Amino acid sequence: MKPRGQPEDRDRSDRTLVAEIQGRDSDALALLYDRHAPRLLGVADRILGKTGEAEEVVQEVFLYAWRAASSFDPFRGSVLAWLIVATRSRALDRLRARRPATSAQPGGPDALARVAARDDVEAGSASREWEAICRAAIGGLPDDQQRALELAYFDGLTHSEIAERTRAPLGTVKTRIRLGLMKLREHLRPYWGKTNA
Amino acid sequence: MHSERHEELVSLAALGLPLEDDAAEYARLLEEGCPSCEALLPELRLAASSLAATVPPRRPPASLRDELLASLSPAKRPSAASRPSASAAWVFAAAAAVLFVMIALDDARLRRQREELRAHNSDLAAAVESSRSEIARRDLRARVLESDDVRVLFLGGKGPQPNARAKVFWSERVRRGFLVAGNLAPLPADRQYQLWVFVDGKPVDTGVFDPDPSGRALFESKELAANRTAQNFAVTIEPRGGLPQPSGPIVLAGTPSG
Ligand SMILES: [Zn+2]
Repeated sequence: MKPRGQPEDRDRSDRTLVAEIQGRDSDALALLYDRHAPRLLGVADRILGKTGEAEEVVQEVFLYAWRAASSFDPFRGSVLAWLIVATRSRALDRLRARRPATSAQPGGPDALARVAARDDVEAGSASREWEAICRAAIGGLPDDQQRALELAYFDGLTHSEIAERTRAPLGTVKTRIRLGLMKLREHLRPYWGKTNA
Repeated sequence: MHSERHEELVSLAALGLPLEDDAAEYARLLEEGCPSCEALLPELRLAASSLAATVPPRRPPASLRDELLASLSPAKRPSAASRPSASAAWVFAAAAAVLFVMIALDDARLRRQREELRAHNSDLAAAVESSRSEIARRDLRARVLESDDVRVLFLGGKGPQPNARAKVFWSERVRRGFLVAGNLAPLPADRQYQLWVFVDGKPVDTGVFDPDPSGRALFESKELAANRTAQNFAVTIEPRGGLPQPSGPIVLAGTPSG
């Protein structure tokens, strides 16, 4: 395994595609879409449930990529991470708009439990590698840290909402979030290509 | 001095959620500046993104891809873009473009407006839908929406119509824009709504319009003279046909820019 930012597949790397998208190449966008839309839809599904809304979010994200490709900062991580951030923030916006105060708990069973049986979508090798690394990192966290991060990340719960949901003191929740994220960072750091812009 | 508490604040911030009781302290941290925290924030954001790897992917329906590609600006796909019969596709493209405009506004000042715009998205979609028969006008709207300098301004209800809402999509380069409004009250037959653009602090007439029976309107402005910068917009009630200067009550107004 060669971790950091090698060309993502035989043809064109994600970064090359983004550069081509800046040059208004719609084929490059189509390729980027084919490569990552399933992953992004998975994220939107987890946040919004398997709805048409989740699909709309994915569409918005690729329109955003089309029009704002220049906002991609190669020094801040991969193209996929950029797309994921865009997907999550849009999906959470919709989730918040949907629930006035509380209620609605999409997603269902814990994310990790659902990961296992999955193969009908063929991810590129670089994506598979990235997923494996991430899963290992997250799987290595204590359950309570993992749970706190999932509630924040997918359900958009603030730390006080997480405290309420998990019946844990607020300070404990904040500590779990800090420890969890710091550990993930330590684990993933070697794979971030700061030098391969 | 960087500390564990800093790491906690940055961790919470990295999740992109309201900071609640920690907001003030985090604001102070940003104000005072801490190089370690500044480096840490993007890394923790990336760390959080790894959670995305834990959910099962799903292949979107093929139609989604088709719609997406059809809605791209025509630059490199002339064959797909200039098909006149594709009115439904255009309506979709316009809606997608409108969405895009909303999501592209990363200026902090406009962030709040964007949220309001999103909330009104269904109105908007309905308005776009109702414009289906006015496909002839599509060129202008597409030009505005697709121009790099498109701005979106939210107009709030004033005076007699506090619940009225509108957005103006405006392109300085195209020198025109269009307004999408909702919750407008019906007017007597001898009255019309008139849209004004403020240039150098003075209102300039950009045309009159009538809402539909449900109080919605989709209206395209007249062209502004060259070298004039739109600072703000307002809608007043005027005698049918409009006046060169506003005389009636203001029902919609934006916040001046700049
Ligand atoms: Zn610090």
